[in-house]
Amino acid sequence: MTNFLLVGFGATVGAFLRNELTLQQSRIKLDFPIVTLLINIFGAIFLGILTAQIHNGAILLLLGTGFCGGFTTYGTFNMELSQLWFQHRLGRCFLYFILTYIFGILGFVVGIHI
Amino acid sequence: MRKRGEVFLLLFIGAFIGSDLRYLESLIFKTSNGFPLGTLVANLSGALILPFLIHYLQDRYNLSTRVILTLSTGVLGSYTTFSTFTADTYRLYNAGQWWLLIIYLTITIVGGFLLALLGNYWAATQAFYDYAKRKRGRHR
Repeated sequence: MTNFLLVGFGATVGAFLRNELTLQQSRIKLDFPIVTLLINIFGAIFLGILTAQIHNGAILLLLGTGFCGGFTTYGTFNMELSQLWFQHRLGRCFLYFILTYIFGILGFVVGIHI
Repeated sequence: MRKRGEVFLLLFIGAFIGSDLRYLESLIFKTSNGFPLGTLVANLSGALILPFLIHYLQDRYNLSTRVILTLSTGVLGSYTTFSTFTADTYRLYNAGQWWLLIIYLTITIVGGFLLALLGNYWAATQAFYDYAKRKRGRHR
């Protein structure tokens, strides 16, 4: 039961922060989902740091499964990819795809070795 | 929806449901060989449902911005996760489980995109079906 509360509270803060950041996308004069990209990369880096530094199961559930899981998103990323695809902006679609996966996985590796 | 307090409350409800559903799936779909089936199930189903919610359910049921914020940013945003995917990838790589790594990467990378496309088609098809049904009804 406590585990579900830890995950839920962590995810709430993560989702709220993600929402605050995503709202800034409209202010950025860039026709590219840069905010979700950065959220996913920084979330992966942070989870890497946590994985390497924290060995307490409860804190990992709160910050890892909860916060990082709620902060980063796979659904929105793929939805934005499909939007670029349907708008025939295939260059951007491919770039977004490549940057997310390469820098996301690399981000986690960097985080774990910091 | 300018009030941050209200947004926080809605996301509190949404993120609690979404993240705990994902956590529950990671417990249910625990595999003996360490394959992250739970993350995969959550991510793929979330990738399919999100476009259907935004492009079909929103209009069909006249969902308010509050409900949409709770369901999309809250529930589905927290239900799916990118960071856990990167952690799973690193773990399989480190354990030298190459086949599981290749299968996991391929299904996540290709499957998520295809399911998001499918979610869009599903929404369009459903909307068209509703429209055709309404039209038939009028001609009776």
